[in-house]
Amino acid sequence: MRTKRRLQAAAFTAAAVVLGLCTVQGTYALWSAAASASPGTISSASFDTTMTAVNTGQTTNMTLTNGTAATLTLSPAGTLGPGTSVYGGVVVTNNTNAGGQFNAAITAGQPTLANVNGGSLASYVRVNAKSAASSTECSTATGFAPIPSTGLVSPTVVKGASTVFCFQIALDSSAPATVKGQAVNISLQLTARQLCGVPSGC
Amino acid sequence: MKNSTLIKGTAAIAVGAALLLGGGGTLAAWNDAVTTNPGTIIAGNLDLAVVDNSGVWKSGTQDVTASIKDGTYKVVPGDVLTFTQTLDVKLDGNHMAATIAANNISPITNEFGSTVQVSKPELKVNGVTVADITTSQTVVASITFAFDPNTSGQTATKAHYDFGNVGFTLTQKIPS
Repeated sequence: MRTKRRLQAAAFTAAAVVLGLCTVQGTYALWSAAASASPGTISSASFDTTMTAVNTGQTTNMTLTNGTAATLTLSPAGTLGPGTSVYGGVVVTNNTNAGGQFNAAITAGQPTLANVNGGSLASYVRVNAKSAASSTECSTATGFAPIPSTGLVSPTVVKGASTVFCFQIALDSSAPATVKGQAVNISLQLTARQLCGVPSGC
Repeated sequence: MKNSTLIKGTAAIAVGAALLLGGGGTLAAWNDAVTTNPGTIIAGNLDLAVVDNSGVWKSGTQDVTASIKDGTYKVVPGDVLTFTQTLDVKLDGNHMAATIAANNISPITNEFGSTVQVSKPELKVNGVTVADITTSQTVVASITFAFDPNTSGQTATKAHYDFGNVGFTLTQKIPS
C-alpha cells in the first residue's frame, strides 16, 4: 500500500538525518574544575654583622648600605714606647634577622702596617691578637700571638651573639730614638662567613 | 428470485462504498495507550576546591606558616622550605574518572634569581604520587623552596619571592 511505503520512506529519511547530525558533532565536552592556592611570599634574611670598637664604642655594620666594606678605627689607648704595648679590640656581633638557624664565624686577617708621612716606625711594630669572649679580656696582656697566614678564626657566633678580637700593638725594645713621634697605620680585614648548620642541610 | 438478486447487489454496493469511504483518507485502526514511568536520572559531579586554612609551610619539621605569612621568617642559604596544600576532590558518577594536575609555578616576584630552586607542585594521596582519580578524596599538593647553600657574598640578601596563585585542574577522562 502506498501509505505504508510513504511511512517507510519517511522513517528512512528521519534516520538518515539523525545519523548525519551525529557525525558532524565530532568532539566531547568533558567536565573540568579548577582551584588555586596562595603560598605567599618568602623573604631572605640580611647578613648584618656589626663591629664595635672596644675603646671608643664606635659601631658600624661590616657592610655599608652602598655595599662597600666599612672601616672601623680601634684607637688603642696610650702611646707606644720601646718594649711596651698598647691594646685595643673589636666586638663583632651576628646581627642577622634570619628566621631559622644562622651561625657565623669571623676571621681576622693578617695586619698591614703603613708608615704615616714617611718614617720607619712600622719596622719596629708587632701586632698580636687573641680571640676573647668578653671585651674586658683586651686589657690583659696574656694570650696574644701573631695572626697566622690563614687568619685568626673566632668560635661559632650564633644569631644575636658576639665574639671579641683583642689586639696588642707592641714596639720593639730595639726601636731607635729616631722613630720617636712617628705614626703608623695598622689595618686588618675582618671577614664574616655563614657556617653550614641549617637544619634542612647545606 | 429477482428480489434476492437486487438485495445482494445492493448490499455489495453498500459494502464496497463503505470500504471506499474508509480508504478515501485514513483508516480508523484499533489503537491502545499505556504510560510507563522510567524514573529519575541524576547527573554525577566533578569538583575541585582548596581546603580552607590547610596551606602549611615547614622548615624541616618546624611549622613556620605564621612567620612566613607575617614576613618575620627570613630564609638563608641552605634553607629548604616545604609548602603543602590540601585539595578536596569530588567525583560522582558510575563511569566517572578524572585526571588531576598542577600548573607550573609562575612567581609574581623573584629577587632570588638562580639562587633558589622551586619545584613544580607534586600531587599525592597517602604519600603516593597521583594523577588519575576515580573517587572523591583529598589530595595533598607540595612545593619545595630550596635556597642554594653555595650562595656567596651578599647575593640574594633581603630578597623576595612572591608565589602568586598556584593553579590546579581536575579534568574528566573518557571512560576506557
